[in-house]
Amino acid sequence: MYDLTDVLDFDELASVRPGSNILVSGPAMSGKEDLAMSVLADGAEAGQGSLVVTTGERGETVLEEFLDRAPGADESTVSVVDCRGDGSRRGEATAGGSYLYHVSSPGDLTGIGIGITECLEYLHNNGADDGRFALTSLSTMLTYTDRKTVFKFCHVLSSRFDSAGYLGLFTIDSSAHDDQTLQVIKQAFDGMIEIRESDGQREARVLGLAGQPTEWREF
Amino acid sequence: MTGSDRPVVLIVEDEPDVAETYNLWLADEYEVRTAQSGDEGLAELDEGVDVVLLDRMMPGLSGDEVLARIRDRGLDCRVAMVTAVEPDFDILEMGFDAYLCKPIRSEQLHDTVENLLERSNYDDLLQEYYSLVEKQATLEATKNSAELADSEEYADLRDRVDGLQDDLSDTLGGIDDDEDFIATLRGLSDVEE
Repeated sequence: MYDLTDVLDFDELASVRPGSNILVSGPAMSGKEDLAMSVLADGAEAGQGSLVVTTGERGETVLEEFLDRAPGADESTVSVVDCRGDGSRRGEATAGGSYLYHVSSPGDLTGIGIGITECLEYLHNNGADDGRFALTSLSTMLTYTDRKTVFKFCHVLSSRFDSAGYLGLFTIDSSAHDDQTLQVIKQAFDGMIEIRESDGQREARVLGLAGQPTEWREF
Repeated sequence: MTGSDRPVVLIVEDEPDVAETYNLWLADEYEVRTAQSGDEGLAELDEGVDVVLLDRMMPGLSGDEVLARIRDRGLDCRVAMVTAVEPDFDILEMGFDAYLCKPIRSEQLHDTVENLLERSNYDDLLQEYYSLVEKQATLEATKNSAELADSEEYADLRDRVDGLQDDLSDTLGGIDDDEDFIATLRGLSDVEE
């Protein structure tokens, strides 16, 4: 079971079943990615594997920031798939012993799949049999491919992480899509963490993981 | 599928003895067609073909070229490459769905064809699942919660969505195999209906 309460204090997040996939939804600049990275860093500090798929930042930057956030992490169980697209598909171990895979574009779903497979294998070979995964963000992917394809992609990834026993987090910018799109994408996940910001204060609530939606709570 | 309900396997193999052996192994379960060259194989290909066993080294069009043309035509069939040597490259990156190294045993051939058919089945289920999820989202967007609670159509839809979710996790072991995982993802970007 995965305990997320050090990052987000909700009873519903105290023991999340391995293989659960959660959508992290909120408007732009509300701290979705920060939250997802904190959840991964928390796991890394506890000896779990970490796998980040990024559509927006350089893989090297993501890796560096992640290791700053999780100074106690074993670098050999941290991996990043960079799909901003700077050339062809390739994977390499970094000087620090982490794994970095490059994909040609956020629309290259096969490449992302190969990257995820290689990262999972690398983490497994370095002793991480459970771990946490984050994809930031589905909103970028939705600009490269249609809703149908992204929905199926989410479902297939969720199935893969389910059988790997990982915890998956996928961020989406709720202000960038219509209701129908959000409603459909939501269905590919086991639950959702929703974020909002008012008067400079960030609040979150949890939906779908156990019983009714929770109350909004500051974090 | 054409004619019978049995899945159709097309064997593209330039050695008649080898093609006949595969045919004998598969004919009980599948409708088998054979072609002796890449050109003949492309002529035999239509919407009815589910799985193609494609010999890589043939005079005339090579297996790689045949594969490229199959993908260009947007045909929704699965292609297994039959090769004499263990390939030293990532076969999935090339766009094949599976590969078999000669000499092939009967059991191995059956397993491969079955797995490829199961992948097609998974794709079909996923497409149906998506359509139902779209319908469900539309209803949720246009009706309030009291109307939804009263709607038989909505209840029925929810049941079917749940049922398909179970079917999907029972197919391909819920995608626990790397090759199935990558091939399924490739299918998402290639096949646009």
